[in-house]
Amino acid sequence: MCGSAYKNRPQPNYCSCVVPVWVNERPVREILTCQSPRTTRTHPRTARRRPPWSFSVARTPTDSIMAQRRSKNKSYRQSYRSCLGAASRLSHTPGWTARRLNTSRRTKSHNITEKVNPEDLALLVKTEWQLSYVTPLYQFRHTQLRSYSRQLSAFITAEKQQGLAVEVEGAQTSFRVSFSAVQGLGETDDDAETVLLQIHSKPVFAGKDEAQKLVWSGWLTCINGNPEYLHLLPKDFTCLPLFGSRGAENLTSLVKSWFQQTFDCCFGPLEINQTCLQWLAALWTNCHIESSIQHLKMIWTLPVEPPLQITYTVNSQDVWELWNSVRNPSLESREEEEAARSIDIEEVTRFMQGLKSHFYRHFRLDLSAGRLSQVSSALGSAKFSGRIKMSNSRYVLTTLTLLTECALLKMPI
Amino acid sequence: MDNTAKRLLQRLVRRIPSQMLKTTLDKWSRLTAAQRQSMDYTESKWALTEKLLAICEENELTVKHIAELEMIHVIENPNLGMWYVFQLMDPQDDAHSVELTQFKEQFKSHLSELIRHVSIKIKKHTDEAVWIRIAWGDTFSRPNHLKPTYVVHYLQTPYVFLTSPTSKQKPLLSQALVLSTRYQAIKDANLSGRKLTAIRDLLMKQYLQVFPTKFPSPLAERNCVVSNLHIEKEQAGSAANRHQMACEAFGDGILPQLQSAVYKLETKFRDHTNKTMTERDEPFKCVVKFASTNLLESLRHSASSGVASTPVTPLLSSVPLKGKNYFVITDNGPGPSSQMKPSQK
Repeated sequence: MCGSAYKNRPQPNYCSCVVPVWVNERPVREILTCQSPRTTRTHPRTARRRPPWSFSVARTPTDSIMAQRRSKNKSYRQSYRSCLGAASRLSHTPGWTARRLNTSRRTKSHNITEKVNPEDLALLVKTEWQLSYVTPLYQFRHTQLRSYSRQLSAFITAEKQQGLAVEVEGAQTSFRVSFSAVQGLGETDDDAETVLLQIHSKPVFAGKDEAQKLVWSGWLTCINGNPEYLHLLPKDFTCLPLFGSRGAENLTSLVKSWFQQTFDCCFGPLEINQTCLQWLAALWTNCHIESSIQHLKMIWTLPVEPPLQITYTVNSQDVWELWNSVRNPSLESREEEEAARSIDIEEVTRFMQGLKSHFYRHFRLDLSAGRLSQVSSALGSAKFSGRIKMSNSRYVLTTLTLLTECALLKMPI
Repeated sequence: MDNTAKRLLQRLVRRIPSQMLKTTLDKWSRLTAAQRQSMDYTESKWALTEKLLAICEENELTVKHIAELEMIHVIENPNLGMWYVFQLMDPQDDAHSVELTQFKEQFKSHLSELIRHVSIKIKKHTDEAVWIRIAWGDTFSRPNHLKPTYVVHYLQTPYVFLTSPTSKQKPLLSQALVLSTRYQAIKDANLSGRKLTAIRDLLMKQYLQVFPTKFPSPLAERNCVVSNLHIEKEQAGSAANRHQMACEAFGDGILPQLQSAVYKLETKFRDHTNKTMTERDEPFKCVVKFASTNLLESLRHSASSGVASTPVTPLLSSVPLKGKNYFVITDNGPGPSSQMKPSQK
């Protein structure tokens, strides 16, 4: 994260020095690694703060200061990738087998309505969020949320007033920011608590007594993050890799730049890749018995000229039977275990293959030639561009676990 | 000029682009030469509206005249809004000899019998199309000119094109059409689209068609992007073959612009790798919608590039062949049901 050297410079939303190049849905960071001259002008204060694993493990650092630190500090941190597979440390390209989504998932539905504040939950479900990944936050304290609220609202007000030479009375909109911790949304103790952000402000031409309305909301979360990785983080770092936002784009970028300046982190867009979308299709179909999905709708885009969009909507009962027929034979005897047993990636692949082959039988058009760009059902919708909507509170945790994994994988460190 | 007329005129001036306003007004020919000269088309729309309102007041024009203007505009720009196609069935003996005046009289009288207050305007366009503008009222209210229905009928063909028919108006309209054209029934042709010219061309097959020949010669490729000479040479034969079959199915050259095709599939799931589903008795119900800015072009390109296997499946080639874009597909019944026949509902 070399960009942190210049604290006061407006940072781009992604760390421009590390360009993840995606090959076969896996980022190959080693192809274009950071050779930015910025590293040589490291501010000594930030050099101490910067996590020692901010370079690719296979690369020799160009910065002499960093080289020196490395030799001193023997037990240096491993990058997320390398902790998944030892081979990556020794070779230039990371182990391909290591960097992948989990191949099997538990599918228990969680009734979190009792554990979580219903207002917070209501905010979370039934809205569409735009996702980003965030690198670990340095010195983020859940106890200082009030002070962060004040700082962020001052920052936003200052940014909005930039360029105004004269103080304009009354016409300025004041922003009230509130940070809150969402308790109960999480399964393990390793996960940091989810943080919810809300920005209220008065609309521009509002009357005096009109209350402030919610204009922007967002959250940072980590659900069932990889425990190995979390344990290897130094003490001062908090890992909340998944960021969801809803509201005006300018407010989103202001919030992101404040976070980047205050906690030395980096934001980046999170796309929901093909595998992830297929997982969601399978996970939602699996829930049909408990809560009806009403239909399973998939939107594919074919790369022809002009682009062809195919919307494939399947009746819920039929798609549930198809899903059931591709499951591995069950080893569980009891019914509760049966409902909660894990799903393997092979089952998901067979399921998608079944859907595609039915399509091919009629249209002789192979959907694999195109790209799955959206999956939706009554339980939620997910788009390739990184927009997610969770409509049922029972499946929030499963969905967030999947998305946390995606965020951790996409993070460049 | 009453309120409706004013509102109609305002809406119309907003809709018509400034460049076309002059020609449209000239065609309308309700303004005197002096009035036409006084209109300055470089002014803002608001100013033009005011000017036009004043002129119409001067000439004492009514809402009927404004409706004429709207009709002229729509005839010039038929590619806005959604058009639905209906087909007339079972012609009687004299259906083919119905001519314009007879049709006009019959249609007006039948529709006025069915609804008390209705305002009808019929115009014949240069290309043999009869345009009808209908403003609907009912027993208690005057015709609503702000929500007209347009009907286009080509005499001597069984096709009728409608914009936005509501469920109440459809049966009355159908009745009037059937009686005045001397057919016995009318049904939904399962074709709809945004561009009237496109769906008309599709139905009347007014686009370049390619017929299978005994001695196929490769049709000239339009955009030759030579990537690798070896690959080109190797693939030349199969590429030409695919291109030929794609053009046979969909046509050559510029194709009519359809926006979507919807298939409602109710066939059984059959897959030799999946025994459980294959043995199921119920059909696997799903709906597939293809959408694109130019659907036929996309389908043709997918066939010629290999994304869709050739020969093109009859489900896709039915779109141009039958001129429909809504299909309900069911199994053929027991027996050799490995084939799917598009059946219409």
